[in-house]
Amino acid sequence: MQRSKATNRTRTRTAAHSGAKDRVDRVDPYGFERPEDFDYDSYEELMSDYLVVLTRRTIKWSKLLRGKRKVQKSLTLKRYVRKGVPNEHRTLIWMAVSGAQDLLEKSPGYFHSLLGAQHDPKLVETICTDLNRTFPDNIHFRKTSEPCLQKSLYNVLLAYGTHNPSVGYCQGMNFIAGYLLIITKEEEKSFWLMDALLGRILPDYYSPAMLGLKADQEVLGELVKAKTPGVWKTMTDQNVMWTLVVSRWFICLYIDVLPVETVLRIWDCLFYEGSKILFRVALTLIHHNQLEIQQAQSLPDVCQAFKQITCGPFVDQCHTFMQKIFTEPGSLSRATLAKLRELCRSRIVAEES
Amino acid sequence: MSRKKAARGKAASSSPSAGSPAGKGAGKAARSSPGIVPMNGVVHPSRPSISNSSEFYDVAFKVMLVGDSGVGKTCLLVRFKDGAFLAGSFISTVGIDFRNKVLDIDGVKVKLQIWDTAGQERFRSVTHAYYRDAHALLLLYDVTNKTSFDNIQAWLTEIHEYAQQDVVLMLLGNKADATHDRVVRREDGERLAKEFGVPFMETSARSGLNVELAFTAVAKELKHRSTKEPSEKFQLQEYVNKEMKGAGCCRA
Repeated sequence: MQRSKATNRTRTRTAAHSGAKDRVDRVDPYGFERPEDFDYDSYEELMSDYLVVLTRRTIKWSKLLRGKRKVQKSLTLKRYVRKGVPNEHRTLIWMAVSGAQDLLEKSPGYFHSLLGAQHDPKLVETICTDLNRTFPDNIHFRKTSEPCLQKSLYNVLLAYGTHNPSVGYCQGMNFIAGYLLIITKEEEKSFWLMDALLGRILPDYYSPAMLGLKADQEVLGELVKAKTPGVWKTMTDQNVMWTLVVSRWFICLYIDVLPVETVLRIWDCLFYEGSKILFRVALTLIHHNQLEIQQAQSLPDVCQAFKQITCGPFVDQCHTFMQKIFTEPGSLSRATLAKLRELCRSRIVAEES
Repeated sequence: MSRKKAARGKAASSSPSAGSPAGKGAGKAARSSPGIVPMNGVVHPSRPSISNSSEFYDVAFKVMLVGDSGVGKTCLLVRFKDGAFLAGSFISTVGIDFRNKVLDIDGVKVKLQIWDTAGQERFRSVTHAYYRDAHALLLLYDVTNKTSFDNIQAWLTEIHEYAQQDVVLMLLGNKADATHDRVVRREDGERLAKEFGVPFMETSARSGLNVELAFTAVAKELKHRSTKEPSEKFQLQEYVNKEMKGAGCCRA
């Protein structure tokens, strides 16, 4: 059975070889232009498998949501989320499981009042510096596009920075708000999801001291030391600080690190299960590619290896990848994570003072 | 599904930024390069070394690009590395990244490992840990942004605190092509540079003005220091003045 499937695929692939580029859009479903060297054949092959999964999941989700006025967290829902939220339900599910919907309903008009408030000119300036540098390869972020997500991006970031002046604006938030807008297509919902992420789901990654980020990078180091000691040794031998290779993973929540579809699947679980998911993804990438990383002979080699492990079929196949993140790194309890976070945080505070 | 950036990664086979999965095998095979740039010194391999791009080199140095957010650090690096300026195709740099380029300096293959950093202030606590390993720092401001120029002094303070004492430092006023939007005159940059005893030039990643020169001058200085010929001290600013394009020729 396995074999016949493989043979079938080879046949399909040969037949498809000439035309995949003609059949597949130059722009992906989220508005990103495909790069010049995009492998249309592999993509089509991948999608033909993934569409089967998507269709099956969509039917299951419609049944689950039918007649429901409000989505409540449950073991079933968690299982469904891990298997992927269909794009048409993403806004609904993200809003519900993150608590953003409750907050929006409690404070109607708050988002718009933030836009109408007095704004810190410094905040405005830092946000504006990054507007043209947020997804220039996405057609919805062009100044000429209608609706123009660049304007919405400005509003969401401005509202958030005004709402939470101790964070203000930190680079990386532009990409997160950008993704939220691509999915929800609504400024207000994007704002509340942003608030859920930065206010509750993630530690203080984006505050001026970036203490939460620094701690989580060290926590990852500790987890790697326990789970993949060979990689930890390579990092120590080559004198590579974790921040060098993983800061973008955490700050950007894998945006522009992993393929779009994979990032969205990660976010499905991130909104439901919390920041633990970020470690599961990192540990899976590292564990799965440990031999490759351990071959590194120098600091640049290590950096190169950490770039390479974020591309290729392993991460393109988002459905199997998401199954792997719950098995490959082994157990990761909330208690362990909380303990390590506290340990690393106090270590950093002690070093910095 | 995959959205790796071809334009940025394509021409840069030696760059870790190259996200092309196709390069995977090649990268592995070439991964025999020796470790470079120990904390405080220059590497003189006993025999020529092979970098990731299979280019030979004799000495290697670490150069860092620093300066406010949006002054054009990544653009300057890409212009130097790939000779390209792709207007409006850059995303803000988060964290830290590097690219390699090997230059021929008077018959010596000098490999520059150039580190590109996020400019936003809060990232500095993450990036200044790298200052101490840097052999050279290129400090950029944007001639169309007064704040970025005013912040140079703060940057210099930070550099003095964290970088090596003998680090090669150069001040660059970038976006010099933007004549209409210019708010910082060249003389202002010169005066500031003189005040702090730092070599200075204006650059443009868009037009390419002085981009090659900035990196070559730094490479020359570093190479000169490493070969230790104190009898004929290399004068970085003199070299820059002599070679500088634009109005540089009419100056003393």
